[in-house]
Amino acid sequence: MAIELIENGEAIKSDLLTLNMGPQHPATHGVLRVEIKTDSEIVAEAIPHIGYLHRCMEKHCEHLDYRGVIPFTDRMDYLAAMSMEWGYALAIEKMLGTEVPKRAEYIRVMIGEMQRLASHLMFFGVYAIDLGAFSPFLYAFQKREFILRIFEEISGARLLYNYYWIGGVWNDVTDAQLRRIAKFVEEMKEELKKYHTLVGENKIFIDRTKNVAILTPEQIYSFGASGPVLRGSGLAHDLRKDRPYSLYSELDFDVQVGHGEKGTVGDCWDRYHVRMREMHESIKIIEQCLDGIEEGPVMGKVPKIIKVPEGEIFMRTECPRGELGYHLISDGGKTPYRLKVKSSCFTHTSMLGEMAPGQMIADFVATIGSIDIVLGEVDR
Amino acid sequence: MHNELVSHLNSTVSGCNATAVTPEIGDSSIFVDASHIKAVCEELATGEWLFHTLQVITGTDYEDRIEVSYILCSYTKNNELILKVKLPKPTSDSIPEIDSVCSVWKAANWQERECWDMVGVKFNGHPDHRRILCPEDWEGFPLRKDYVVQEEYHGMKVNPAEKINNADHHFFKKIQETLEDPKKISHSWKGE
Repeated sequence: MAIELIENGEAIKSDLLTLNMGPQHPATHGVLRVEIKTDSEIVAEAIPHIGYLHRCMEKHCEHLDYRGVIPFTDRMDYLAAMSMEWGYALAIEKMLGTEVPKRAEYIRVMIGEMQRLASHLMFFGVYAIDLGAFSPFLYAFQKREFILRIFEEISGARLLYNYYWIGGVWNDVTDAQLRRIAKFVEEMKEELKKYHTLVGENKIFIDRTKNVAILTPEQIYSFGASGPVLRGSGLAHDLRKDRPYSLYSELDFDVQVGHGEKGTVGDCWDRYHVRMREMHESIKIIEQCLDGIEEGPVMGKVPKIIKVPEGEIFMRTECPRGELGYHLISDGGKTPYRLKVKSSCFTHTSMLGEMAPGQMIADFVATIGSIDIVLGEVDR
Repeated sequence: MHNELVSHLNSTVSGCNATAVTPEIGDSSIFVDASHIKAVCEELATGEWLFHTLQVITGTDYEDRIEVSYILCSYTKNNELILKVKLPKPTSDSIPEIDSVCSVWKAANWQERECWDMVGVKFNGHPDHRRILCPEDWEGFPLRKDYVVQEEYHGMKVNPAEKINNADHHFFKKIQETLEDPKKISHSWKGE
């Protein structure tokens, strides 16, 4: 890859320079370290090193009862903790055959989609910062703050909720809270239009993201990418449509895919735009939940001491960052025998090595931002 | 789907010895011989079943064996499959080995590295066979059931006694012993 410089008529081969990006680099979104071999300003090779946030949550879970695992799942993707809990609760419920009350299902879908909004708002803010624009971050955080406040009111915590329990949700929401959510999503529609003109159609932003880090469908399938990364490459796969869980089969929403409007299908701009349009879909879903929500209990019948029957299950759910899978193996006891987490961020981080070669270093920052990883989920 | 797939595998990959396990509760799986895993995976990924995505590789340590589960999925056919192999239980001087499937799916690269790091299964033919989450010179494989944490790492004490939150441990132990009824520690069971 080294550039050949012509000096006095002779070709000089320059050496590659090794650069460490992270683990304390603001653009790596946490404690990711990427060892970059650069040739002037072009990345020749990038080797991601992970594990700085490794707590071996899977081992901890083997010593906890089934309810005790839920707070640990929060700490994986701490920006979308509700979605992390949801998948785990669904896996256990499916094994136990628990019926979740209708009101709890509505609350779950509504809260899950609000979490998606919060997570995508975070992406929108920090991605703009990665690319040098500071003010979108402030807009995004103002709106995200409302969601966190609502979450704090209903669950008692701002980020790590322990709210989705096996059999339902921990606490009921009040009518006043529902009215505030309705008002918020109404405001959010206008807000999203503003974001699009502010960032999405911004000339500098488009120049920085179009035709950068293009992912082809073959790469996507081979690496097992999911979520907005997969849909950004023009593939319309969404677990909420393909294998609907909870109430998603009854709700009306569209799967958003990248079309390559500004550059090529599967570039950074497409991944950005898929997330922004997904927020509109989330608002649609929240509105339907607000219309449909009915009175009733929020907790189903669950035994006091949960013993999952012997067997195994692989439960996938569509989280803001991609598909989250729980592979639970039970031996019939009070604790999971083995709980393996399929993390989409782990998968997406493994793609960095393939996306980086040939990029400018500044584009590489845009690439890391566009796959939207949370290192808590990568390392678990 | 599993029975069809088993007969398909047995006819296309000779000697793979595929058998389906279909329990009443939970997901079904297919067991194949460990020596044929690569051929089976190639057939599944490129053949008519189109399992073009590897979701995850789970290593599980049982009393008498180690099981490696390959969870495959097909987006176009909307299918999911748990493919399993049994490996012999590791002893003090042997580690279980299996062929790498990195050439079939790129996702296998990091998944196999994690499986090696956590459970200690060696993947023959892996292009970059290193630990991934733990440091390269870490001892032992944390997700094995008989794992004991090493006491020292580069002169640093692992889990020093003064850093262990004993008050917490005692508190939760007491709760488990004295309050069998969770209603007493939380008002959250009002749904019942």
